[in-house]
Amino acid sequence: MSQPIRLTVNGTDLERSDLDDAERLLDTLRWRLGLKGTKEGCRTGDCGACTVLVDGESTLSCLTLTREVEGTRITTIEGVRGEPAGPNVLTAFGAEPALQCGYCTPGFVMALTGLLQEEGSTHRTSNLVDELEGNLCRCTGYRSIIRAIGALGDELR
Amino acid sequence: MRVYLASVATDGKANSHALARPPVTFSFVQPTSVEAALRAVGTPGSVAIAGGTDLLLDFDNQRIAADRVVSLNGLPWKHLTRAGGRLVVGSTLPLRRIELDPRVAVDLPGLYQSVHAVGGVPLRHRATMGGNLVRASPASDLLPVLLALEATVHIVGAYGSRASSLDDFLRGSRSVDLAPGELIESVSVPYPAPSAYVWQRVRPAKDISQVGVAVARVPGAGHWNVALGGVVPRPIRSPSAERHLTRLRPKAEEITRAAEAASEGVAFATDRRASEAYRHLLVSVLVRRALDKAIPPEAPS
Ligand code: FES
Ligand code: FES
Repeated sequence: MSQPIRLTVNGTDLERSDLDDAERLLDTLRWRLGLKGTKEGCRTGDCGACTVLVDGESTLSCLTLTREVEGTRITTIEGVRGEPAGPNVLTAFGAEPALQCGYCTPGFVMALTGLLQEEGSTHRTSNLVDELEGNLCRCTGYRSIIRAIGALGDELR
Repeated sequence: MRVYLASVATDGKANSHALARPPVTFSFVQPTSVEAALRAVGTPGSVAIAGGTDLLLDFDNQRIAADRVVSLNGLPWKHLTRAGGRLVVGSTLPLRRIELDPRVAVDLPGLYQSVHAVGGVPLRHRATMGGNLVRASPASDLLPVLLALEATVHIVGAYGSRASSLDDFLRGSRSVDLAPGELIESVSVPYPAPSAYVWQRVRPAKDISQVGVAVARVPGAGHWNVALGGVVPRPIRSPSAERHLTRLRPKAEEITRAAEAASEGVAFATDRRASEAYRHLLVSVLVRRALDKAIPPEAPS
C-alpha cells in the first residue's frame, strides 16, 4: 500500500491508492484497470507486445514502474484512436491486414504511432521498419506488417 | 490435457504472475534534489533506479532484492550540453534523446551508432547512459565507444564530486568503482571525433552483440583508439591494434596489421552466442570494418 497515484489513461484522469510501489505499468493496466489490449509476451523487454505511449513516447510497460510514470498521459491500444497518428495506423494495419493471431498487434500499433508522432525521427519506410526492431511477431513473417508500414510511410510525410 | 487459465480479474486482486514467482516488493521514492537522492541511496537497503530496463530484470530473477528503490528521474540530470569541446550527457537522459539530437550523428558518429544498437526504440525511451555504465555488462554496446572516446565519468557523493576515466571506473563484469552512496551525474566525451561502432550478432535485431568494436580519433591520443566489447570480464582498449594506427588515414597494410593484432592476448567468453575462437576472428573483421567506416575521406585536392 502506498501513496495515491495520479495517472491519465486514455484521456481519463485516475487516482488510485491500491497500487504497489513495485508494480509494473503492464500489470496496472491489465490487472487493475482491466485494459487487456496491452499484451505480455516476455516480461523481459524482448518482444514489444507490452508497448504503450507515455506522454506520447513508446514505452515497454513490462519494464516500467507505474510510480515512475505518475502524472503522465498514458495511451494504450484501447485509446489509440485519440492519438494524432492512431487512426491512420489502425487503418493501414486493418487494410492489409497486417496480423494473424493479433497478439503482437497492439505493440506494433503503439510503437508505430509513437514513431510517427515523434519529432526528429524520419518517416521513410526503411527507417520505420528499422525502428520497429523491438517488436516481434511470431505469425506474419513480417511481410504484411512491412507493407502496412510502407503505406503509412508514403502517406504521412 | 490440462488447460491452465490465469484468473482474469479486473478488481486488482489476482495477478497470474504472483502465482508464477514470489512477488517483487520494495518501496519507491523519487527525490527531487541531489542532496535528498544522495541521502536516500546512502541508506542501507536502497538501490538507485534510472531507466530500470536492466535493473528490474534482476529483481524478477531474484538476483537482487532491496527494501527501497530510489528513482533518479526527479533529478536535473537529463541534459545534453556542449562545453569546452566536450559533449556532456546527463546520466538519466534516455538514450533515445541522444540519438535524436541532430548534431550527435555528425559530431560523434560512433556514439550515435552505439546508442542505436541498444534494444528497440521503446526501450531506448527509458534506458539511460548512467544505467548502462553502472550495470557494466561485458556485452554493453555503449562501453566500447565510450572507452575509445576516453570518456570521463562525473560522480557525486555526500563528500562532493569527483571525476574518473571510464577505464578506471570499469572494474570487471558488472562491477564498477562506485562507492555505496555515490551516483553518476554525467558522462562526457570530447567532440567532434571521427568514430565508428560496429557489432556482430546471431541475428541483427533484438539480441546482444557477440563482439562489438569501436574506433575513435580523439585529440591528443596520437593514434586511433580501438576498444573491444564482448570481452571478459569487461570491455577494453586494444593497445596492440592502436600501435599501428598513428596516421589519420592509415595505410592498407597498417589496417591489416591492426586487425590481426587487435585481439592478441584478449580473453573472450565461450557461450551460447559464440566460441572464443570465433570471437577472435570477428574482432579482426570488425576492426577493419570500423576503421573503414570512421576514417575520413581524403579531402579533394
Ligand atoms: S512483454 Fe514487455 S517487451 Fe515483451
Ligand atoms: S500476428 Fe500473431 S504474433 Fe504477430
